[in-house]
Amino acid sequence: MHEWALADAVIEATSGALGGRDPACLRGVTVLLGELQAIDREIFTFALETLLQERPFRTAAYTLQTEPALFHCGSCGREWTLADSAGLEGDAREAIHFLPETAHAFVRCPSCGSPDYRVQAGRGVRIESLTVDAAGSCA
Amino acid sequence: MIDPRSSVVAARLAGIGRIAAFCSAKGGVGKTLCTALAGVVLSSRGKNVGILDLDLQGSTAHLFLGVRPRMPGEDKGILPLAVTERLVLMGAGVFAGNRALALRGHEVSDAILELLAVTRWGRLDALLIDLPPGIGEEVMDLARLVPRLEAFVISTPSAASTAVVERLLAFLSDLKVPVTGVIANMARGDAAPVRALASRFAARYAGEVPWEPSVEGALGSAERLGRTAAAAAMAAALKEAGW
Repeated sequence: MHEWALADAVIEATSGALGGRDPACLRGVTVLLGELQAIDREIFTFALETLLQERPFRTAAYTLQTEPALFHCGSCGREWTLADSAGLEGDAREAIHFLPETAHAFVRCPSCGSPDYRVQAGRGVRIESLTVDAAGSCA
Repeated sequence: MIDPRSSVVAARLAGIGRIAAFCSAKGGVGKTLCTALAGVVLSSRGKNVGILDLDLQGSTAHLFLGVRPRMPGEDKGILPLAVTERLVLMGAGVFAGNRALALRGHEVSDAILELLAVTRWGRLDALLIDLPPGIGEEVMDLARLVPRLEAFVISTPSAASTAVVERLLAFLSDLKVPVTGVIANMARGDAAPVRALASRFAARYAGEVPWEPSVEGALGSAERLGRTAAAAAMAAALKEAGW
């Protein structure tokens, strides 16, 4: 249920990004959920909806998109996906869920076995865009 | 693209009285020991204390305090692991255990930000942050993200340590992070160079923690650590520093 903490962060960041603009003008927010972190969409959505009740931009539509995880090996150049990462079960999956950087303790390049790689995409939760109605009254 | 996490860090730390980083640009001077001792001492005074182990690639605070790495509980965030009734711990070692966790700079920053954004400390009198050696992401990220951050600076009396720690003191000054105390660790009646270093930066010299071989036998138990002469010395240093 630490999805609540991240949903809270998305809402606070949305509020901050609006700056001085009328919160009622916020139409939509697109949130990327990195595949690596394996956020539970149901819990995350419920947390967003609950926390939004107290906000002036509660009518904005939140769209959740999964960003596939992509790894790049610094040793052999192989690129691979989360599905190619063997042995990620139990505590390893949970550790990565809580702290995605711990992937480096569990994942190795499927081609050469190197621990020297980058997570190129799909790490965690980010806001991709806000849609704000700039025309006329937002009431 | 907006990273939402930094927007909640201040709120996550709002219930904490004082926050101090235990740092030293030099490795092997006993930062983790000093952090653990300070946690044990303050909690024994009835304070509620958290320790955040940000030595991500060399986490050992859990080993010092006898905490078995395991998945934390959750309550709208992740909950630090209990060490004693009044002392809790969070850090990458909780998740990675004794596995090698090799991270590049931006990944260190990401991990720090994640831990600060999702850990629910609740109400604490003090949060003590154990930092790795060096002057890098950890120091800069904390200075930027953590409100009311103070620093305990640790050095041994050796010139090999004080020369490097001098750079850290200058860097902390540039970052406008107040130094709440300079501590001479592993001292054997020879702490004068550390005292002089503190004086050069107009920082409070909090005292010395003596070299004590018996500390090794106390590792893995907060209770045993609390009975060492090193703990008594840390208690005096904390008082001198106004903690």
